[in-house]
Amino acid sequence: MALGHMRPRAKKFVPPKLMITSMMDMFTIILIFLLFQFSEKPETIHMMEEIELPTSSAKMDHTETIQLVLTQNSLQINDDLVAQVKKGNVVGLDPQNPKASVLYQRLQEQFAQTVKNSDEKQPKEHILLLCDKRHSFKTINKIVKIAALAGYPNFQFAVLKE
Amino acid sequence: MSIITKGRRNSDDDTELNMIPIMNIFLVIIPFLLTSVSFFHIKVISTSVPVMADSMHESLKPKKMKLTVIVEMRQADMRLSTTAENLDPQELEQFEQLFKLQAAGMYPLMELNEYLQSIKSTYPESDTLILIPDETVIYESIIQAMDAARNFNDSPLFPNVVLSGSLG
Repeated sequence: MALGHMRPRAKKFVPPKLMITSMMDMFTIILIFLLFQFSEKPETIHMMEEIELPTSSAKMDHTETIQLVLTQNSLQINDDLVAQVKKGNVVGLDPQNPKASVLYQRLQEQFAQTVKNSDEKQPKEHILLLCDKRHSFKTINKIVKIAALAGYPNFQFAVLKE
Repeated sequence: MSIITKGRRNSDDDTELNMIPIMNIFLVIIPFLLTSVSFFHIKVISTSVPVMADSMHESLKPKKMKLTVIVEMRQADMRLSTTAENLDPQELEQFEQLFKLQAAGMYPLMELNEYLQSIKSTYPESDTLILIPDETVIYESIIQAMDAARNFNDSPLFPNVVLSGSLG
């Protein structure tokens, strides 16, 4: 047969078939993983890179409180910078005159506001302390004392679940 | 081949599960779960610092035999002592204990936990422990000591941990 007489054979169109089974497998794995990680109360705490929380067997959830964050370099109340931390010392925090510190003033303002709103003499608010695990008790003690002086003797120490 | 057999084979070939609606459900569930997922679980340990208390309220409560354990975390060891309103100092002295640091410089928290269990079994009403760390003790060690003091497995030992600085 001469080549000129050959008719080009039209390829039959085969509609592409999506491999649903493998996609289903993938989605099932993702779904199971997410279900295990599911939390009714997702963490709303802004975690910074420079903070390393200690691990603990504690099971209690934190409550909505004043959030105090002590990293290696800074001290913050509710994400507002209060003081710098240099070599474990909180700058501007004099143990001899704690009432002059910004930390005391901020907590005192907060305390006055809470008392005004709740009509309680002693609000039962906690301070949620997120502290880097490498800090010494010397640094923590100063902050804790000032907070107690400002009217907040109760704390919740944030830890990572073991 | 009979017509009946042929018909049955055709119906078997056609049975294919329609995955599309299941996929749609998955696509809805996954974004929802992604918004609710938490990759780190933050928990808290409740504690307090010593404050001036109103003694009038305390005196009205019925007295129970309670011990308050004091644990001092020092550079070289841990010293345990006790205090109680209803017990003589001589009786309290028998509970005093010194735990030497382990070879790696770690605090002997297992030993502390075991000793606290024995105190708790003698005075089950006791629930308060005052932790007095040295200034050099790091926060991680304090948390570990609090864990050892608060519970043994799932049973509470001294759930009220008060954190205090040393005097002088």
